[in-house]
Amino acid sequence: MISGRLRFESSHATEFVDITKRLREAVQESGLRTGRVHLQSLHTTLGLAINENEPLLLRDFQTLLERLAPGDAGYEHDDFDRRIEISADEPVNGHAHCRQLLLTGFATLLVEDGELVLGRWQSVFAVELDGPRHREVATQMDGDFSIKADERDASREARLVETELMRQLMVDPDPVAAPMRRLMEAGGKRLRPKLVQLTSQIGPRHDPLRAAELAAAVELLHNATLIHDDYVDESTYRRGRPTVAAAEGAERAIAVGDYYFAKATRLIAEIGISGVTSTMAQAIEAICASQIDDVALRGAFPGDHESYLRVVRGKTAALFAAACASGALLSDAPAEVVEALRRYGDLLGVAFQMADDMVDFSPSSGKPMGLDIRQRVLSLPLIYAAEDREVGTEVRDLLSGTLGDKQVDRVVELVTSSAALRRVGDEARGLVDAALRELESVELDGLRPTLVSLARSAVDRES
Amino acid sequence: MSVQAPDRELDRLEGLWADGLSESYRSYLDAVSSYEADAQPKLALAAALIEAGVRLQGLGGRAAPAPTLLMGDLCLARAARLLADAASQAVQVAFARAIEGLSAAAASGNPSRPVRELLLNAFTATA
Repeated sequence: MISGRLRFESSHATEFVDITKRLREAVQESGLRTGRVHLQSLHTTLGLAINENEPLLLRDFQTLLERLAPGDAGYEHDDFDRRIEISADEPVNGHAHCRQLLLTGFATLLVEDGELVLGRWQSVFAVELDGPRHREVATQMDGDFSIKADERDASREARLVETELMRQLMVDPDPVAAPMRRLMEAGGKRLRPKLVQLTSQIGPRHDPLRAAELAAAVELLHNATLIHDDYVDESTYRRGRPTVAAAEGAERAIAVGDYYFAKATRLIAEIGISGVTSTMAQAIEAICASQIDDVALRGAFPGDHESYLRVVRGKTAALFAAACASGALLSDAPAEVVEALRRYGDLLGVAFQMADDMVDFSPSSGKPMGLDIRQRVLSLPLIYAAEDREVGTEVRDLLSGTLGDKQVDRVVELVTSSAALRRVGDEARGLVDAALRELESVELDGLRPTLVSLARSAVDRES
Repeated sequence: MSVQAPDRELDRLEGLWADGLSESYRSYLDAVSSYEADAQPKLALAAALIEAGVRLQGLGGRAAPAPTLLMGDLCLARAARLLADAASQAVQVAFARAIEGLSAAAASGNPSRPVRELLLNAFTATA
């Protein structure tokens, strides 16, 4: 039995959030072959539904709910003079509770051959009835979990990193360890540690424990930068949970980020390979310098392609490249292999960031749409939409003004209706192809399929 | 006595030199005289940047505004790179432990020893 929480931010009062892809990914990650996925809404104004994801039909559903329980019908639940013990921020939402009664709060889906059993037109929706809000759906999977041999190896390596991360957090003082543990437990793709572990198998000296130590240090470092980023960006949620700055205050966030920055550099130094230490130190410097550029460029929002690439190379790709190179260095791989892997990581990192930018425009990502627009974060789809012949003028006008909900929604609409997302997708896939070409001349000892699939999955994603 | 900053290492941080960095750099230069001559300026500058970095961030006090925090982050990152270039493993570990101690104290709301004292002790312990 595996229990979990599927967390997301809704962005509208009533919204059909398609969670099918996330459930499919959760089933794949769990290794469940045959069994059931149980879902339970943890809210009285969030329903569940299985139906067709066709935009006009979703509007019909919305209209139906409005007709059956109109927002302005007058509900006794909203008569605060007659209710007792209501909080100061009690919402007027009698209609939302009544609408939830028409839906269900529970669902069980079948799994066969490792896949959700759904009909061709069936999608699974979490139905927001009183948004926008932070939401959670509890999940439990039971049945037969069996995994293939290569998956078992990958899973064992991943468990080593998780164990190492937990071991490190266990010895840290609680005021820093607790917020970091919450961030780690909230998820994350662990792509950078995976790259370290994979590339650490390329040279003649493969030591899984040492690789796990380096991989864990890289992940701690990455999360330390996220903690400071969230304060800088004034983000309130990450991975579906409040950010450290939002939950514990800016002062604590700065201290936690510093602690794990220092700890990660110490763990890397303790590995005792100067090439690894230097590679990681250069990456850290590149990340910090590009963060300054990133914030500075928000004055010229949405920026241009050249500035975008410069920032992304530092902000994201530097750590991908360093993870690949340092894993290879750890394994004593030849210099030309280290450099090829460094270039692979650099190209993959840029492609990954482009895919991440596209997630901001995906209604099924589980993240609120348009967050990058609100925060004026450098984003390639916005840059391309601003250049677009059809929508460019309106996008630029909107971005130069105040960005309220209405303006953000309109920008999202313009970006998705233009060729911008297709252009970004094509460019990201082109970079992945280029990254894979870097590996053509390298002897990878059977790791090529994994590196290829990891690269492809880094850009073909919705969350 | 005027002190020259090591070449290239103040990129983006030029303004800090006149704002106390040169003074702390000079203080640390005195503390690194037992290290190899080539490494001395880098070690002293790394220590001075850590001191400047945590001050800019507001570590242990009121949080700095975002742009200042990022400058502080860059100071710490550059210090880490200078240490990777020029310091022994023992110095790198001692400096990292000093920052861990400072930040753990800040997160707990406890007072900490001054950063300069911690870093000078790190030099002494690893010389």
